[in-house]
Amino acid sequence: MATLNKQAQKKIWAFLALGTFVGLLLLPLFLSLPAGASGGAPAPAASTAPPPAQPAEAKPVEKSRDIWYKTEGPVVGAPAPKTTDSPKDYPRYNFESRVILWVALQQHLYYGSFVLAVPIFCMVVEYLGIITKDKALARKYDQLAYDFVKISLTAYSLTALLGGIVIFTFLTLYPTFFTYLSSIFRPVMATYALLFIAESGTLYIYYYGWDKMREGFLKWVHVSMSVILNVIGTVLMMLANSWIAFMQSPAGVDSEGRYLGNIWHVIHTTLWNPINVHRILGNMAFGGGVVAAYAAYRFLTSKTDEERAHYDWMGYVAMFIGVCFLIPLPFAGYWLMREVYAYRQQMGITLMGGLLAWLFIIQAVMIGALFLTTNYYLWQGLERMRGAERYQKYIKYMVFVLITCFIVWLTPHTMVMTPGELKAMGGQQHPVLGNYGVMSAKNGAINTIITTTVLSFIMYQRGNKVPTVKWAPIGNAFLFGMFTIAYINIIGLAIYGYYIPANVRVGLSVPQVATTLSCLFIGVTLNSIMLSGAKELGPTVWGQISVRSQYALIMLATAFTWMMGLMGYIRSSVRLFWHVNEIMRDNSPWAFTHTIGFGANMISFNVLFFWVTILFVFWLGSLGVKKAPTAAPVGQKVPVPAGSH
Amino acid sequence: MADQGSQVSTGTKVAFAIGSLILATAYFVLLDWKLMDIQGLDFFYLFRK
Repeated sequence: MATLNKQAQKKIWAFLALGTFVGLLLLPLFLSLPAGASGGAPAPAASTAPPPAQPAEAKPVEKSRDIWYKTEGPVVGAPAPKTTDSPKDYPRYNFESRVILWVALQQHLYYGSFVLAVPIFCMVVEYLGIITKDKALARKYDQLAYDFVKISLTAYSLTALLGGIVIFTFLTLYPTFFTYLSSIFRPVMATYALLFIAESGTLYIYYYGWDKMREGFLKWVHVSMSVILNVIGTVLMMLANSWIAFMQSPAGVDSEGRYLGNIWHVIHTTLWNPINVHRILGNMAFGGGVVAAYAAYRFLTSKTDEERAHYDWMGYVAMFIGVCFLIPLPFAGYWLMREVYAYRQQMGITLMGGLLAWLFIIQAVMIGALFLTTNYYLWQGLERMRGAERYQKYIKYMVFVLITCFIVWLTPHTMVMTPGELKAMGGQQHPVLGNYGVMSAKNGAINTIITTTVLSFIMYQRGNKVPTVKWAPIGNAFLFGMFTIAYINIIGLAIYGYYIPANVRVGLSVPQVATTLSCLFIGVTLNSIMLSGAKELGPTVWGQISVRSQYALIMLATAFTWMMGLMGYIRSSVRLFWHVNEIMRDNSPWAFTHTIGFGANMISFNVLFFWVTILFVFWLGSLGVKKAPTAAPVGQKVPVPAGSH
Repeated sequence: MADQGSQVSTGTKVAFAIGSLILATAYFVLLDWKLMDIQGLDFFYLFRK
């Protein structure tokens, strides 16, 4: 009876806790909704007193037209200020203010991205720990999820600190701009601050309540909290995205920048959702990379085989999740670019056909390096499995395909040339290589790279296994046929694009993407089904992998970090001399685009700064009680993850 | 990719492979056409000209 009461009490407590978090999540919305729409005072409470007499001459409400949505709305805000290069609008130190803000923002973005991604990892891995039937493996998953959240805890504080530094930098160095932006986004910023409290509260209870909510019903409550944590985190990100999307593609204001009272219009600008999708995927890829690099470092410094096995496995899981989200990332990026072009063609041309085009070539090199490294890591992973040697012979063909596509992917359309070279070449573009500098070739190349990566993964899944299902020959034939025709389709569509008008060619990217995704979903699913009950040629020996593979993980993390910095720089500088595109002009002395070399140096500095500080975060995480990885009893195999890994 | 213990003859494997190539071709052509059609574009543009 006493036990029943105690269980009932626990359930009540758990429901109360969940209810509190959901309430905290919804509270900012309830508080901001009455004030949000008008930007003024909250609606007055119901009253029995007669309404005050209208003033004799009521001012007519001025209306204006939304520059994007074209709807009419009452003018609520002041016009965008016309700044001048003065201490009033641009107070400064004896240093370029833009660079200070750049560093603060980039560091905040890196840490913010990390702390948004890691709870998603925790949610997925903790859930795997609940549903896995193998008890030892379930404990490993649970421990892994706990390790993930432990790593990120200090990072949360740093994210908040850096956010504070960003705000102070805006207030002290760009007061006029920030006053304007915050006058429009006042309820959004208030909601953001309140959600941060909700996020922190949920996180602390999620982390410190881990042991107390270890089993049974409470464990499900604990996993639900991770879902809530992620919902809050995603909403936070989307609110912050609305500010930068507004700066790049403003809506909800008229041509003078006057707010027209519709908070949804200023949030839901045309680039908001493409940025949301791209950032969620990018956060996951980046977070996976950082955690994998942490695991790689711990692998390299391991003293025992058990430790090495644990961190090899951790690195694999983190890399797997990161690469799962890396694969759709180019598609999200393509959607973003397509929306930029649709919004303002000139902006699209500045990005990929003008001033910032060479930065996209650098991006191409980084993406190619990322996918090559991912494939390399998977091939190295074959070493863990006896029986996987039979797939070694295919690697050279895949390397050839990847390198060829990489070369096409990074070939620029126009070279930087001297007049003599221009004359020798007979024009701006090389007669052969110039053809690879256009989107038709790029789409073909990247889709081929991704399809090959999927093939590498299928090969890895099969590493030490032989399918024993009766329909294995049909399944194998299906995979062979699907991948062969997929490659032909992707490359065929790329060639076809050269012979049709641009508006039709742009549409071809969708079937190309669908081809790649077909190979991914159908191929991996079919392969997984085929491998159920498969004969194992040998165990997967975690920890038995080359040291080079761990350097590959560190390479992945560094490349992700550098790319994030690069693409953020591109997105920001495409606004050229505008604070808010075509609404509020940047009249500071730094209203120019830096040289590519300077930009690259700044990005590298930010990457280095981030990695030095995150190493401090990891070191802090390693202090306190060190939980040893689950050591296998003598004579028992080291448990392998569920499925075919 | 060769798998051990397969009882199927080479001729049957070739037949399966050809069948899957035909099936995959049909699938991808249909996919290409449908996805272009959704966007209001003609997949067979070049051949109609």
